[in-house]
Amino acid sequence: MSGPAISTEGLTKRFGALRAVADLGLVVEQGEVFGYLGPNGAGKTTTIRLLLDFIRPTAGAARVLEGSGADPRIRRRIGYLPAEWTIDPRYTAADLLDFYGRLRGGLDARWAQTLLDRFELDPSRPVGQLSTGNRRKVGIVQAVAHRPDLLILDEPSSGLDPLLQHQFQLLVRELAAEGAAVFLSSHVLHEVEELAQRVAILRRGRLVTVASVAELRQQARQRIDLRVAGSADVSVFADVPGVVDVTATDGVIHLIVEGPVDQVIKAAARFEVTRIITHETELDEVFLSYYQEDRP
Amino acid sequence: MIVAARLLRDRRRSLLWWAVGLVALVAFTVALYPSIKGQASFDQLMADLPNSVKVLVGYQADVPLTSPAGYLHGRLFALLAPVVILVFSIGTGAQVIGGSEEAGTLEPLLANPVSRQRVAVERYLAVVVMLTALVGVFTVALITLAAPVDALAGVSNTGLLGVCAGIFGLALLHGTLAFAVGAATGRRGPAVAGATTLAVAGYLAHGLLTLTESLRPWRFLSPWQWYLERNMLAEGAEPAAIVIPVALSAVLFAVGWAAFRRRDLR
Repeated sequence: MSGPAISTEGLTKRFGALRAVADLGLVVEQGEVFGYLGPNGAGKTTTIRLLLDFIRPTAGAARVLEGSGADPRIRRRIGYLPAEWTIDPRYTAADLLDFYGRLRGGLDARWAQTLLDRFELDPSRPVGQLSTGNRRKVGIVQAVAHRPDLLILDEPSSGLDPLLQHQFQLLVRELAAEGAAVFLSSHVLHEVEELAQRVAILRRGRLVTVASVAELRQQARQRIDLRVAGSADVSVFADVPGVVDVTATDGVIHLIVEGPVDQVIKAAARFEVTRIITHETELDEVFLSYYQEDRP
Repeated sequence: MIVAARLLRDRRRSLLWWAVGLVALVAFTVALYPSIKGQASFDQLMADLPNSVKVLVGYQADVPLTSPAGYLHGRLFALLAPVVILVFSIGTGAQVIGGSEEAGTLEPLLANPVSRQRVAVERYLAVVVMLTALVGVFTVALITLAAPVDALAGVSNTGLLGVCAGIFGLALLHGTLAFAVGAATGRRGPAVAGATTLAVAGYLAHGLLTLTESLRPWRFLSPWQWYLERNMLAEGAEPAAIVIPVALSAVLFAVGWAAFRRRDLR
């Protein structure tokens, strides 16, 4: 088996007048971690629901693991964690793993136990009694319990603290190293940049670009605040390459930088910098250039 | 049958409470029978009532209310027992696809290696099993609890089983409608509303069409007519009361199943 894990051609979905996804052509190779980025409402979840045959395309087609997402034999090899994972609150993790294990034709009990241990989950507690983070962990465990060939994750680490995000990243890397393809949807770059090799950016249902993470980093904008002692004369940054905007308030210099920050740091060396604060930027800001290109 | 088995397991506690409630209803009804049995004046009182009221309480001139068949029909089978079982059937039928889709629990299930068709079939079968169990408990409770007070004297076995099968048929038809609307729309509200409307309209139509001489031939349009055509406890089983609803249920299920298969999930 060597074909792509996901391939779509002209995939289009309309909901009445709203075009949720338009003419989408995607290829995700096996063993690849693929980031799927876009602001909220861009059509990420719609794409995933098309792949899994929850909704049917208006035009075009999607192939998953060289078959159809409607085919139970294909779905047996897919693991899925939706952005909003709703489960009967009375189910425990053990209930769920048992039930899904039966549907999937068997449960690797040792692997399931390993997962529960790694995420420090009590399998006998009803999901309804768990915190948001723990419920998310149960969602991750059920998605990978059958060692899927394709893992589809929609905003996977929302609700996870940094330590668990790290655990989660280790798990995804492990599965990818074993040959699984991972389709990782998110509205924030940092959620996927640690894991993905390639990233697609979606906006208003259309594919804006597909690029490697390294390429994107080159172009991504960053917000950096420098707290400085003494006077903050920002004019020195005006001519530094990559600086898009610079302002100063109360001894803090606010910078927006496109691409590498090397020159900015060198320019900052002449100040007495007491703190450097970097901000997690929303995709809208990071990829402003892409979005602007798309505007009429 | 993994999906059906899981649903039955999830529902076992709720089903138990429904069964307890029905047994209590039977026990309460049967326990009152000895105090009515000897009251001939009761029949006289009923005979003097206006026709419309007679129809609504299930009174029949040739079956005295003080006889077991008349008493059980009026107190239990004409309205109360079918309504309770209909409520269960409609609620459950609406829940298994429409309700769970609306709540968001259906999609995670469908991400597993099960086809939509299979989920629809298995969940519908689970509804039928639960309904059968509930009507079965009701029937057994009646036979068991009525014996000590002679509340089934003169009632044939086929008549009793016939009327219980009639309740099953009536409930199955409305439950299947709720299932089909839920499967076609992915929502619980329209499913419950549609099936409840049919139940209420059917009941009112049965009463009105029975009372209005010129409209009597149209009575067969009401599902309640098939069930209430005659007092099966006194006159024996009426095959139409089970055959017609089961046949119509099969059609409704097929329509809901096909719609669920084709449409987008919500």
